[in-house]
Amino acid sequence: MTRDELKDKILTILTEDFEFEHPGLNDNLRDDHGFDSIDAIELLGKIEVILDFSLTRDEKEKAMEIRTINNILDYIEGIVNSRNK
Amino acid sequence: MKRRVVITACSAITPIGYDKKNIIESLRQGKSGVKPLRDDGLLTKHIHSRVFGTVDYPIEYGFKRQYRKTMGPVAFYACQVAKDVLQSSGLSRDFITSGRLGVAFGSTHGSPTVQRDIYKTFFNDLDSKFSSIGAVDYLRSMVHTTAVNITRMFGITGRVIASSTACTTSSQSIGFGYETIKYGMQDAMICGGADEYDTTTVAVFDNLLACSVDYNHKPHCTPRPFDAGRDGLVVGEGGGAVLLEEYESAKRRGASILGEIIGFGCNNNGGDMILPNLDGITATLRLALESARISPDDVDFISAHATATKMGDVIESQAIASVYGDGPLVTGLKSYMGHTMGTCGVIELILTLYMMEQGFIAPTLNLDNVDERCSMLRHTCKLTETDTRIAAIQNFAFGGVNTCLLIKNGKEADS
Repeated sequence: MTRDELKDKILTILTEDFEFEHPGLNDNLRDDHGFDSIDAIELLGKIEVILDFSLTRDEKEKAMEIRTINNILDYIEGIVNSRNK
Repeated sequence: MKRRVVITACSAITPIGYDKKNIIESLRQGKSGVKPLRDDGLLTKHIHSRVFGTVDYPIEYGFKRQYRKTMGPVAFYACQVAKDVLQSSGLSRDFITSGRLGVAFGSTHGSPTVQRDIYKTFFNDLDSKFSSIGAVDYLRSMVHTTAVNITRMFGITGRVIASSTACTTSSQSIGFGYETIKYGMQDAMICGGADEYDTTTVAVFDNLLACSVDYNHKPHCTPRPFDAGRDGLVVGEGGGAVLLEEYESAKRRGASILGEIIGFGCNNNGGDMILPNLDGITATLRLALESARISPDDVDFISAHATATKMGDVIESQAIASVYGDGPLVTGLKSYMGHTMGTCGVIELILTLYMMEQGFIAPTLNLDNVDERCSMLRHTCKLTETDTRIAAIQNFAFGGVNTCLLIKNGKEADS
């Protein structure tokens, strides 16, 4: 999956499931869209479905550093790359 | 410190209407909110009782996702009525978030709809690759979900009391809220309860042979409190909230005084979990009168618990007769909407406030032929135009919990 394809999937989830309005790739998720730790856990469940595998606890804890949509994309790509090593 | 506690706002979502006008119209015209049981795809086909006190009108909630995400259906009812009372109260944002406003709110068992979804996930998940229990499922289903969704939505930082005692849930909420203000722990409390559409509750009572089954083909004819032809209770849904405030501060800010809580009795039967207990109930009624420092003769109206079970109504009649004789008018308000479970106390209190304000007492619906064993009371058999100065709201629950709230007419309280 290319980064653009991944971006489209994440933006769809954020607008449809999390009701983001006009999300920008570098918006602060919490300040600009009210995205909180509960939402982060929900999003991780959806990312598992996209990736088609379960994330480890360590991988999930790393997600707590995410602040922007670009961070989400970097995070997912990082997980995929580390698993492919 | 003992302070007076007044009711300055109220709102109820009931099977006979949401706003005050619709509810009063239903009471005056004898309209029932009992409808056929809806299929929930789970238990319905196994249940003998085919009736339910149903909220079947649309409600425009307008809650943002940031709040909706932790709310099951029961919290929608709770937050809506809480929003109504805060809006109509005129309380300032500064006060609401000051820590001097608390919440006493509960439900029978959180959100059974969400709990059922969790169990579905458990059983469907056995062959699945992912654990798919949602991060918010517990927050949406937990037993204190109504109270803390209210605090979250409105930024309330005072005490939380989340009673969950089945049919006395919201009457305890009001009673404990009253005591919290009376003894100076808070200056105001949002009190009430909610319960959502749920067939598991129907199944429980159905299994105990306590549900109405003889009127499945004409739902509006049941329940029939105190009637010789009664055959059990009808489960219902709804939500209700009252705002309680310390009298002096309510007066200072010019709040409308809808009524005053003047007494609260609460005890336990200390024995059987299901059977009604004459000694326990009688003691509760007396405790409330002692708490209010009034005599039985001062009470003009009793909103009886009156679920229309065969023994419950008889025991309650005996308790009322032994404490009050045949003085006060007695109405079983569940005859209009069934038993809204954790909500019934607050809804019955709000309906009583409406009737006090409007100067009438609604009759017990479907009371065509009073059971001889309940006939020693002064039943309200027809719409009665009368002034009510003081009323009692009685509720009793599984587990042997009994409550009685005594309220004074708003005009009297304000004078």
